Amino acid sequence: MPITADFTRTCRARSPSPPEGSRKTLPGVPDGETVLSERVLAERFGEVVLPHLGDALSLARWLTGNAADAEDVVQEACLKAHAGIAGYAGGNARAWLLAIVRNASYSWMARNRPRGVVAVGDLADLDDVALPPDSAANSPEAALIAKADTAAVEAAIARLPQPFRETLVLRDINGLSYREIATMLGVPQGTVMSRLARARGLLMSDLGRAA
Amino acid sequence: MNPTDDGLPEDRQDMKLMIHALVDGELDAAAALAVERRIAADPELAAEHARIVAAQAAVARLPRPQVSDAFMARIAAIGATGQQENLEAAAPQSRDASGRQARTRPTRTWPAARRFGSFDWRAMAASIALTAVLASGATQWLMVGNSTDSFAVAIASGHRRSLLAASPVDVVSSDRHTVKPWLDARIGVSPPAPDLTKDGFALLGGRIEVIGDKPMPALVYRHHEHLITLIAAPQQNGGASAPVATDLSAGGFSMVHWTDDAFSYWAISDTERPALDEFVDRFRAAITAG
Repeated sequence: MPITADFTRTCRARSPSPPEGSRKTLPGVPDGETVLSERVLAERFGEVVLPHLGDALSLARWLTGNAADAEDVVQEACLKAHAGIAGYAGGNARAWLLAIVRNASYSWMARNRPRGVVAVGDLADLDDVALPPDSAANSPEAALIAKADTAAVEAAIARLPQPFRETLVLRDINGLSYREIATMLGVPQGTVMSRLARARGLLMSDLGRAA
Repeated sequence: MNPTDDGLPEDRQDMKLMIHALVDGELDAAAALAVERRIAADPELAAEHARIVAAQAAVARLPRPQVSDAFMARIAAIGATGQQENLEAAAPQSRDASGRQARTRPTRTWPAARRFGSFDWRAMAASIALTAVLASGATQWLMVGNSTDSFAVAIASGHRRSLLAASPVDVVSSDRHTVKPWLDARIGVSPPAPDLTKDGFALLGGRIEVIGDKPMPALVYRHHEHLITLIAAPQQNGGASAPVATDLSAGGFSMVHWTDDAFSYWAISDTERPALDEFVDRFRAAITAG
Protein backbone atom coordinates (compact mmCIF):
# COMPACT_ATOMS: atom_id res chain seq x y z
CA MET A 1 0.00 0.00 0.00
CA PRO A 2 2.66 2.59 0.79
CA ILE A 3 4.10 1.97 -2.64
CA THR A 4 0.83 2.75 -4.31
CA ALA A 5 0.38 5.87 -2.30
CA ASP A 6 3.88 6.97 -3.14
CA PHE A 7 3.33 6.32 -6.78
CA THR A 8 0.19 8.36 -6.84
CA ARG A 9 1.86 11.25 -5.21
CA THR A 10 4.83 11.21 -7.55
CA CYS A 11 2.55 11.27 -10.52
CA ARG A 12 0.72 14.22 -9.21
CA ALA A 13 3.91 16.01 -8.37
CA ARG A 14 5.28 15.48 -11.82
CA SER A 15 2.21 16.53 -13.71
CA PRO A 16 2.31 20.24 -14.43
CA SER A 17 -0.21 22.20 -12.47
CA PRO A 18 -2.75 23.40 -15.01
CA PRO A 19 -4.02 26.42 -13.10
CA GLU A 20 -0.60 27.92 -13.28
CA GLY A 21 -0.37 27.47 -17.00
CA SER A 22 -3.79 28.85 -17.66
CA ARG A 23 -3.29 31.73 -15.32
CA LYS A 24 -3.70 35.01 -17.05
CA THR A 25 -0.91 37.37 -16.30
CA LEU A 26 -1.51 40.80 -17.63
CA PRO A 27 0.88 43.69 -17.56
CA GLY A 28 0.32 46.26 -14.91
CA VAL A 29 -1.35 43.90 -12.51
CA PRO A 30 0.64 43.43 -9.35
CA ASP A 31 1.38 39.87 -8.39
CA GLY A 32 -0.93 39.86 -5.42
CA GLU A 33 -3.83 40.68 -7.67
CA THR A 34 -3.77 37.72 -9.98
CA VAL A 35 -7.46 37.33 -9.62
CA LEU A 36 -8.68 39.79 -12.18
CA SER A 37 -11.59 41.67 -10.83
CA GLU A 38 -14.28 43.10 -12.99
CA ARG A 39 -12.99 46.46 -11.96
CA VAL A 40 -9.56 45.75 -13.41
CA LEU A 41 -11.12 44.47 -16.60
CA ALA A 42 -13.33 47.52 -16.91
CA GLU A 43 -10.27 49.70 -16.44
CA ARG A 44 -8.44 47.72 -19.08
CA PHE A 45 -11.35 48.22 -21.45
CA GLY A 46 -11.03 51.96 -20.91
CA GLU A 47 -7.32 51.88 -21.70
CA VAL A 48 -7.34 49.38 -24.54
CA VAL A 49 -10.50 50.17 -26.44
CA LEU A 50 -11.61 53.76 -25.90
CA PRO A 51 -8.45 55.53 -27.16
CA HIS A 52 -8.65 53.72 -30.49
CA LEU A 53 -12.28 54.29 -31.37
CA GLY A 54 -11.33 56.76 -34.11
CA ASP A 55 -9.13 54.15 -35.77
CA ALA A 56 -11.83 51.55 -35.30
CA LEU A 57 -14.37 53.79 -37.02
CA SER A 58 -11.96 54.48 -39.90
CA LEU A 59 -11.35 50.83 -40.52
CA ALA A 60 -15.02 49.90 -40.28
CA ARG A 61 -15.91 52.78 -42.57
CA TRP A 62 -13.50 51.60 -45.26
CA LEU A 63 -14.29 47.93 -44.92
CA THR A 64 -18.06 48.39 -45.01
CA GLY A 65 -17.79 51.35 -47.39
CA ASN A 66 -20.23 53.33 -45.33
CA ALA A 67 -19.63 55.79 -42.52
CA ALA A 68 -23.13 55.34 -41.12
CA ASP A 69 -22.71 51.60 -40.68
CA ALA A 70 -19.29 52.02 -39.12
CA GLU A 71 -20.68 52.99 -35.72
CA ASP A 72 -22.89 49.92 -35.57
CA VAL A 73 -20.02 47.69 -36.55
CA VAL A 74 -17.64 49.27 -34.05
CA GLN A 75 -20.22 49.01 -31.29
CA GLU A 76 -20.62 45.33 -32.04
CA ALA A 77 -16.85 44.94 -32.09
CA CYS A 78 -16.56 46.71 -28.74
CA LEU A 79 -19.03 44.29 -27.18
CA LYS A 80 -16.83 41.46 -28.42
CA ALA A 81 -13.74 43.28 -27.19
CA HIS A 82 -15.34 43.70 -23.79
CA ALA A 83 -16.20 40.04 -23.61
CA GLY A 84 -12.65 39.10 -24.59
CA ILE A 85 -10.77 41.79 -22.73
CA ALA A 86 -9.23 39.24 -20.38
CA GLY A 87 -7.59 37.68 -23.42
CA TYR A 88 -5.76 40.86 -24.32
CA ALA A 89 -2.18 39.94 -23.46
CA GLY A 90 -0.47 43.25 -23.91
CA GLY A 91 1.09 44.44 -27.13
CA ASN A 92 -0.41 46.91 -29.54
CA ALA A 93 -3.89 47.62 -28.23
CA ARG A 94 -4.87 49.28 -31.49
CA ALA A 95 -3.93 46.22 -33.54
CA TRP A 96 -5.82 44.01 -31.08
CA LEU A 97 -8.96 46.11 -31.33
CA LEU A 98 -8.72 46.52 -35.10
CA ALA A 99 -8.51 42.77 -35.59
CA ILE A 100 -11.84 42.50 -33.77
CA VAL A 101 -13.27 45.39 -35.79
CA ARG A 102 -12.17 43.71 -39.00
CA ASN A 103 -13.92 40.48 -38.08
CA ALA A 104 -17.00 42.37 -36.99
CA SER A 105 -16.98 44.28 -40.29
CA TYR A 106 -16.91 41.12 -42.33
CA SER A 107 -19.60 39.38 -40.34
CA TRP A 108 -21.67 42.53 -40.62
CA MET A 109 -21.09 42.55 -44.39
CA ALA A 110 -21.97 38.89 -44.65
CA ARG A 111 -25.26 39.54 -42.83
CA ASN A 112 -26.20 42.77 -44.50
CA ARG A 113 -24.85 42.56 -47.99
CA PRO A 114 -23.83 39.05 -48.85
CA ARG A 115 -22.93 40.04 -52.38
CA GLY A 116 -20.39 42.60 -51.23
CA VAL A 117 -18.17 40.07 -49.53
CA VAL A 118 -15.22 38.81 -51.49
CA ALA A 119 -14.87 35.06 -51.36
CA VAL A 120 -11.64 33.60 -50.09
CA GLY A 121 -10.89 32.09 -53.47
CA ASP A 122 -10.88 35.49 -55.09
CA LEU A 123 -8.41 36.69 -52.52
CA ALA A 124 -5.91 33.99 -53.24
CA ASP A 125 -6.26 34.58 -56.97
CA LEU A 126 -5.49 38.23 -56.56
CA ASP A 127 -2.24 37.44 -54.80
CA ASP A 128 -1.23 35.07 -57.53
CA VAL A 129 -1.40 37.76 -60.15
CA ALA A 130 2.05 39.20 -60.69
CA LEU A 131 2.67 42.83 -59.99
CA PRO A 132 1.69 44.98 -62.94
CA PRO A 133 4.42 45.58 -65.50
CA ASP A 134 6.74 48.42 -64.79
CA SER A 135 4.91 51.34 -66.26
CA ALA A 136 7.00 54.25 -65.18
CA ALA A 137 6.40 55.86 -68.55
CA ASN A 138 2.70 56.41 -67.95
CA SER A 139 2.79 56.76 -64.18
CA PRO A 140 1.52 60.12 -63.04
CA GLU A 141 3.83 62.72 -61.61
CA ALA A 142 4.06 62.88 -57.84
CA ALA A 143 2.86 66.48 -58.03
CA LEU A 144 -0.33 65.36 -59.72
CA ILE A 145 -1.01 62.83 -56.97
CA ALA A 146 -0.31 65.41 -54.29
CA LYS A 147 -2.89 67.74 -55.85
CA ALA A 148 -5.74 65.21 -55.67
CA ASP A 149 -8.64 66.40 -53.56
CA THR A 150 -10.29 64.53 -50.73
CA ALA A 151 -13.23 63.29 -52.76
CA ALA A 152 -10.94 61.88 -55.46
CA VAL A 153 -8.77 60.09 -52.91
CA GLU A 154 -11.78 58.63 -51.11
CA ALA A 155 -13.30 57.47 -54.38
CA ALA A 156 -9.99 55.91 -55.44
CA ILE A 157 -9.71 54.00 -52.14
CA ALA A 158 -13.30 52.85 -52.42
CA ARG A 159 -12.58 51.47 -55.90
CA LEU A 160 -9.68 49.30 -54.71
CA PRO A 161 -10.31 45.57 -54.58
CA GLN A 162 -11.09 44.61 -51.00
CA PRO A 163 -7.80 42.89 -49.98
CA PHE A 164 -5.80 45.83 -51.34
CA ARG A 165 -8.08 48.39 -49.74
CA GLU A 166 -7.90 46.62 -46.40
CA THR A 167 -4.11 46.50 -46.46
CA LEU A 168 -3.80 50.13 -47.53
CA VAL A 169 -6.21 51.31 -44.82
CA LEU A 170 -4.53 49.28 -42.08
CA ARG A 171 -1.15 50.71 -43.10
CA ASP A 172 -1.77 54.29 -44.22
CA ILE A 173 -4.82 55.18 -42.15
CA ASN A 174 -4.52 52.98 -39.07
CA GLY A 175 -0.72 53.06 -39.08
CA LEU A 176 -0.11 49.38 -38.34
CA SER A 177 3.24 47.81 -39.16
CA TYR A 178 3.70 45.17 -41.86
CA ARG A 179 4.11 42.56 -39.17
CA GLU A 180 0.91 43.55 -37.39
CA ILE A 181 -1.02 43.53 -40.64
CA ALA A 182 0.42 40.15 -41.61
CA THR A 183 -0.61 38.73 -38.25
CA MET A 184 -4.08 40.18 -38.49
CA LEU A 185 -4.71 38.99 -42.03
CA GLY A 186 -2.96 35.69 -41.50
CA VAL A 187 -0.71 36.13 -44.53
CA PRO A 188 3.07 36.36 -44.93
CA GLN A 189 4.67 39.78 -44.71
CA GLY A 190 5.65 39.48 -48.35
CA THR A 191 1.98 39.29 -49.26
CA VAL A 192 1.27 42.38 -47.20
CA MET A 193 4.07 44.17 -49.05
CA SER A 194 2.86 43.20 -52.50
CA ARG A 195 -0.77 44.00 -51.67
CA LEU A 196 0.28 47.37 -50.35
CA ALA A 197 2.37 48.08 -53.45
CA ARG A 198 -0.53 47.05 -55.66
CA ALA A 199 -2.97 49.16 -53.67
CA ARG A 200 -0.78 52.22 -53.88
CA GLY A 201 -0.05 51.59 -57.53
CA LEU A 202 -3.77 51.50 -58.37
CA LEU A 203 -4.38 54.54 -56.20
CA MET A 204 -1.60 56.49 -57.90
CA SER A 205 -2.73 55.80 -61.42
CA ASP A 206 -6.32 56.51 -60.45
CA LEU A 207 -5.38 59.85 -58.91
CA GLY A 208 -3.19 60.68 -61.88
CA ARG A 209 -6.14 60.15 -64.20
CA ALA A 210 -8.59 62.05 -62.00
CA ALA A 211 -6.43 65.11 -61.68
CA MET B 1 21.92 48.79 -64.37
CA ASN B 2 25.16 47.54 -62.93
CA PRO B 3 25.00 44.70 -60.48
CA THR B 4 25.50 46.02 -57.01
CA ASP B 5 26.51 44.28 -53.84
CA ASP B 6 24.25 46.18 -51.48
CA GLY B 7 22.06 43.13 -50.90
CA LEU B 8 19.01 44.71 -52.51
CA PRO B 9 16.94 42.83 -55.06
CA GLU B 10 17.90 43.27 -58.70
CA ASP B 11 14.33 42.77 -59.82
CA ARG B 12 12.66 46.13 -60.49
CA GLN B 13 9.37 45.10 -58.87
CA ASP B 14 11.07 43.76 -55.77
CA MET B 15 13.12 46.90 -55.60
CA LYS B 16 9.90 48.91 -55.60
CA LEU B 17 8.67 46.89 -52.66
CA MET B 18 11.81 48.00 -50.87
CA ILE B 19 10.93 51.62 -51.60
CA HIS B 20 7.47 51.08 -50.12
CA ALA B 21 9.13 49.54 -47.08
CA LEU B 22 11.46 52.54 -46.83
CA VAL B 23 8.52 54.96 -46.96
CA ASP B 24 6.75 52.91 -44.31
CA GLY B 25 9.75 52.97 -42.02
CA GLU B 26 10.00 49.19 -42.09
CA LEU B 27 13.70 49.01 -43.01
CA ASP B 28 16.58 48.92 -40.59
CA ALA B 29 19.22 51.61 -40.87
CA ALA B 30 21.56 49.62 -43.11
CA ALA B 31 18.86 48.61 -45.58
CA ALA B 32 17.36 52.09 -45.55
CA LEU B 33 20.74 53.56 -46.39
CA ALA B 34 21.22 51.14 -49.28
CA VAL B 35 17.74 51.87 -50.68
CA GLU B 36 18.28 55.61 -50.37
CA ARG B 37 21.54 55.26 -52.33
CA ARG B 38 19.77 53.38 -55.09
CA ILE B 39 17.05 56.02 -55.23
CA ALA B 40 19.64 58.78 -55.44
CA ALA B 41 21.36 57.02 -58.32
CA ASP B 42 18.24 56.14 -60.29
CA PRO B 43 15.79 58.84 -61.44
CA GLU B 44 13.12 56.25 -62.15
CA LEU B 45 13.25 54.91 -58.61
CA ALA B 46 13.34 58.47 -57.34
CA ALA B 47 10.12 59.24 -59.23
CA GLU B 48 8.48 56.12 -57.81
CA HIS B 49 9.59 57.12 -54.34
CA ALA B 50 8.09 60.59 -54.79
CA ARG B 51 4.83 59.09 -56.04
CA ILE B 52 4.55 56.75 -53.08
CA VAL B 53 5.23 59.55 -50.64
CA ALA B 54 2.63 61.72 -52.38
CA ALA B 55 0.04 58.94 -52.37
CA GLN B 56 0.64 58.21 -48.72
CA ALA B 57 0.33 61.89 -47.88
CA ALA B 58 -2.90 62.14 -49.87
CA VAL B 59 -4.38 59.24 -47.88
CA ALA B 60 -3.10 60.66 -44.61
CA ARG B 61 -4.83 63.99 -45.38
CA LEU B 62 -8.25 62.37 -45.49
CA PRO B 63 -10.54 63.56 -42.72
CA ARG B 64 -10.86 61.01 -39.93
CA PRO B 65 -14.27 60.02 -38.68
CA GLN B 66 -15.30 61.99 -35.65
CA VAL B 67 -15.94 60.04 -32.49
CA SER B 68 -19.06 61.78 -31.30
CA ASP B 69 -19.64 62.27 -27.59
CA ALA B 70 -22.76 60.18 -27.79
CA PHE B 71 -20.90 57.31 -29.44
CA MET B 72 -18.03 57.53 -26.98
CA ALA B 73 -20.48 57.42 -24.09
CA ARG B 74 -22.22 54.41 -25.60
CA ILE B 75 -18.96 52.50 -25.91
CA ALA B 76 -17.75 53.58 -22.48
CA ALA B 77 -21.02 52.22 -21.11
CA ILE B 78 -20.04 48.80 -22.45
CA GLY B 79 -16.92 48.96 -20.34
CA ALA B 80 -18.83 50.13 -17.32
CA THR B 81 -21.53 47.52 -17.48
CA GLY B 82 -20.78 44.88 -20.06
CA GLN B 83 -24.51 44.45 -20.50
CA GLN B 84 -25.63 44.35 -24.08
CA GLU B 85 -29.25 44.95 -23.18
CA ASN B 86 -28.25 48.22 -21.58
CA LEU B 87 -27.07 49.42 -24.94
CA GLU B 88 -30.29 48.60 -26.58
CA ALA B 89 -32.33 50.42 -24.00
CA ALA B 90 -33.55 53.88 -24.84
CA ALA B 91 -31.16 55.53 -22.42
CA PRO B 92 -28.08 53.43 -22.93
CA GLN B 93 -26.21 54.26 -19.78
CA SER B 94 -29.20 54.68 -17.53
CA ARG B 95 -28.44 51.51 -15.67
CA ASP B 96 -25.32 50.13 -14.26
CA ALA B 97 -24.33 46.60 -13.50
CA SER B 98 -23.90 47.21 -9.84
CA GLY B 99 -23.60 50.03 -7.40
CA ARG B 100 -20.10 48.99 -6.55
CA GLN B 101 -18.81 49.28 -10.09
CA ALA B 102 -20.61 52.47 -10.66
CA ARG B 103 -19.23 54.11 -7.58
CA THR B 104 -15.65 53.47 -8.57
CA ARG B 105 -16.13 54.27 -12.23
CA PRO B 106 -15.63 58.04 -12.33
CA THR B 107 -12.30 57.96 -10.53
CA ARG B 108 -11.04 55.41 -13.00
CA THR B 109 -12.18 57.42 -15.95
CA TRP B 110 -10.15 60.47 -15.15
CA PRO B 111 -6.60 59.31 -15.81
CA ALA B 112 -7.67 58.04 -19.22
CA ALA B 113 -9.46 61.29 -19.87
CA ARG B 114 -6.32 63.33 -19.52
CA ARG B 115 -4.39 61.14 -21.83
CA PHE B 116 -6.91 61.13 -24.62
CA GLY B 117 -8.18 64.60 -24.36
CA SER B 118 -9.96 65.03 -27.67
CA PHE B 119 -13.29 63.80 -26.32
CA ASP B 120 -15.56 65.43 -23.86
CA TRP B 121 -14.81 63.03 -21.08
CA ARG B 122 -15.98 65.39 -18.43
CA ALA B 123 -19.53 65.17 -19.66
CA MET B 124 -19.31 61.44 -20.06
CA ALA B 125 -17.87 60.89 -16.61
CA ALA B 126 -20.56 63.09 -15.17
CA SER B 127 -23.29 61.18 -16.93
CA ILE B 128 -21.88 57.89 -15.76
CA ALA B 129 -21.61 59.16 -12.23
CA LEU B 130 -25.23 60.22 -12.44
CA THR B 131 -26.07 56.79 -13.77
CA ALA B 132 -24.43 55.30 -10.74
CA VAL B 133 -26.70 57.22 -8.46
CA LEU B 134 -29.72 56.13 -10.43
CA ALA B 135 -28.76 52.47 -10.54
CA SER B 136 -31.53 50.70 -8.76
CA GLY B 137 -31.01 48.41 -5.85
CA ALA B 138 -33.21 45.85 -7.54
CA THR B 139 -30.93 45.67 -10.55
CA GLN B 140 -27.97 45.31 -8.28
CA TRP B 141 -29.53 42.44 -6.38
CA LEU B 142 -30.47 40.79 -9.64
CA MET B 143 -26.94 41.05 -10.95
CA VAL B 144 -25.34 39.89 -7.73
CA GLY B 145 -27.75 36.98 -7.62
CA ASN B 146 -26.94 35.93 -11.18
CA SER B 147 -23.21 36.08 -10.79
CA THR B 148 -23.35 34.21 -7.49
CA ASP B 149 -25.42 31.50 -9.12
CA SER B 150 -22.94 30.78 -11.89
CA PHE B 151 -20.14 31.01 -9.37
CA ALA B 152 -21.87 28.42 -7.19
CA VAL B 153 -22.33 26.11 -10.15
CA ALA B 154 -18.64 26.43 -11.04
CA ILE B 155 -17.64 25.66 -7.48
CA ALA B 156 -19.93 22.65 -7.38
CA SER B 157 -18.39 21.28 -10.59
CA GLY B 158 -14.92 21.85 -9.19
CA HIS B 159 -15.82 19.99 -6.03
CA ARG B 160 -17.37 17.13 -7.96
CA ARG B 161 -14.31 16.88 -10.18
CA SER B 162 -12.03 16.80 -7.16
CA LEU B 163 -13.97 13.83 -5.76
CA LEU B 164 -13.42 11.95 -9.01
CA ALA B 165 -9.74 12.80 -9.31
CA ALA B 166 -6.94 10.63 -8.00
CA SER B 167 -6.48 13.06 -5.18
CA PRO B 168 -8.71 15.93 -4.14
CA VAL B 169 -5.69 18.07 -3.35
CA ASP B 170 -2.56 19.16 -5.16
CA VAL B 171 -0.58 19.84 -2.03
CA VAL B 172 -1.02 17.20 0.63
CA SER B 173 -0.48 18.54 4.07
CA SER B 174 -2.26 18.94 7.31
CA ASP B 175 0.15 21.71 8.11
CA ARG B 176 -1.10 25.14 7.18
CA HIS B 177 2.50 26.33 7.04
CA THR B 178 2.90 24.11 4.01
CA VAL B 179 -0.42 24.83 2.36
CA LYS B 180 -0.32 28.61 2.61
CA PRO B 181 3.12 29.12 1.00
CA TRP B 182 2.20 26.62 -1.71
CA LEU B 183 -0.87 28.63 -2.65
CA ASP B 184 0.99 31.88 -2.29
CA ALA B 185 3.77 30.74 -4.64
CA ARG B 186 1.30 29.70 -7.30
CA ILE B 187 -1.36 32.32 -7.37
CA GLY B 188 -0.14 34.93 -4.93
CA VAL B 189 -3.06 34.46 -2.61
CA SER B 190 -2.91 32.69 0.71
CA PRO B 191 -6.13 32.47 2.64
CA PRO B 192 -6.25 31.48 6.28
CA ALA B 193 -5.92 27.72 6.60
CA PRO B 194 -6.51 26.83 10.24
CA ASP B 195 -6.16 23.23 11.26
CA LEU B 196 -9.43 22.16 12.78
CA THR B 197 -8.48 18.57 13.54
CA LYS B 198 -9.45 18.84 17.17
CA ASP B 199 -12.87 20.01 16.07
CA GLY B 200 -13.27 17.00 13.78
CA PHE B 201 -12.32 18.76 10.55
CA ALA B 202 -8.88 17.69 9.39
CA LEU B 203 -7.02 19.84 6.89
CA LEU B 204 -6.07 17.57 4.01
CA GLY B 205 -4.36 20.11 1.81
CA GLY B 206 -5.10 22.57 -0.94
CA ARG B 207 -5.52 22.93 -4.65
CA ILE B 208 -6.28 25.65 -7.13
CA GLU B 209 -9.64 25.99 -8.75
CA VAL B 210 -10.14 28.08 -11.84
CA ILE B 211 -13.53 29.68 -11.56
CA GLY B 212 -14.74 32.05 -14.21
CA ASP B 213 -11.19 32.47 -15.57
CA LYS B 214 -9.80 33.31 -12.17
CA PRO B 215 -7.49 31.06 -10.22
CA MET B 216 -8.76 30.68 -6.68
CA PRO B 217 -7.29 28.96 -3.69
CA ALA B 218 -9.23 25.94 -2.48
CA LEU B 219 -8.69 24.23 0.88
CA VAL B 220 -9.85 20.71 1.48
CA TYR B 221 -10.99 19.48 4.89
CA ARG B 222 -12.22 16.04 5.86
CA HIS B 223 -15.06 15.45 8.23
CA HIS B 224 -15.62 11.76 8.90
CA GLU B 225 -15.77 10.36 5.39
CA HIS B 226 -16.90 13.59 3.75
CA LEU B 227 -14.72 16.12 2.04
CA ILE B 228 -15.33 19.81 2.33
CA THR B 229 -13.94 22.14 -0.29
CA LEU B 230 -13.47 25.70 0.83
CA ILE B 231 -12.93 28.30 -1.88
CA ALA B 232 -11.52 31.57 -0.67
CA ALA B 233 -11.90 34.42 -3.15
CA PRO B 234 -10.03 37.59 -2.27
CA GLN B 235 -12.46 40.40 -1.61
CA GLN B 236 -12.20 42.94 -4.38
CA ASN B 237 -14.14 45.78 -2.89
CA GLY B 238 -13.19 45.49 0.76
CA GLY B 239 -16.85 45.18 1.52
CA ALA B 240 -18.29 44.53 4.92
CA SER B 241 -18.41 41.06 6.34
CA ALA B 242 -21.57 39.19 5.63
CA PRO B 243 -22.21 37.91 9.10
CA VAL B 244 -24.66 35.17 8.23
CA ALA B 245 -23.70 32.34 5.96
CA THR B 246 -25.96 32.13 2.95
CA ASP B 247 -27.31 28.82 1.82
CA LEU B 248 -26.46 28.22 -1.82
CA SER B 249 -26.90 24.51 -2.11
CA ALA B 250 -26.13 23.49 -5.65
CA GLY B 251 -25.79 20.37 -7.71
CA GLY B 252 -26.78 18.05 -4.90
CA PHE B 253 -24.19 19.49 -2.55
CA SER B 254 -24.69 21.68 0.44
CA MET B 255 -23.01 24.97 -0.03
CA VAL B 256 -22.71 27.99 2.16
CA HIS B 257 -21.24 31.35 1.37
CA TRP B 258 -20.01 34.01 3.71
CA THR B 259 -17.61 36.90 3.73
CA ASP B 260 -15.06 37.91 6.29
CA ASP B 261 -12.86 40.94 5.98
CA ALA B 262 -10.33 39.82 3.37
CA PHE B 263 -11.96 36.87 1.69
CA SER B 264 -15.24 35.68 0.35
CA TYR B 265 -15.73 32.03 1.23
CA TRP B 266 -17.68 29.25 -0.36
CA ALA B 267 -17.81 25.95 1.48
CA ILE B 268 -19.21 22.96 -0.33
CA SER B 269 -19.60 19.38 0.70
CA ASP B 270 -21.72 16.30 0.33
CA THR B 271 -22.04 16.15 4.09
CA GLU B 272 -25.19 17.07 5.95
CA ARG B 273 -26.00 20.70 6.17
CA PRO B 274 -25.65 20.87 10.00
CA ALA B 275 -22.15 19.45 9.76
CA LEU B 276 -21.24 22.05 7.16
CA ASP B 277 -22.66 24.78 9.36
CA GLU B 278 -20.58 23.50 12.23
CA PHE B 279 -17.53 23.59 10.02
CA VAL B 280 -18.25 27.18 9.07
CA ASP B 281 -18.64 28.16 12.72
CA ARG B 282 -15.41 26.44 13.74
CA PHE B 283 -13.52 27.90 10.79
CA ARG B 284 -14.69 31.42 11.48
CA ALA B 285 -13.96 31.05 15.16
CA ALA B 286 -10.47 29.78 14.36
CA ILE B 287 -9.55 32.65 12.05
CA THR B 288 -11.01 35.22 14.40
CA ALA B 289 -9.02 33.73 17.24
CA GLY B 290 -5.83 33.19 15.31
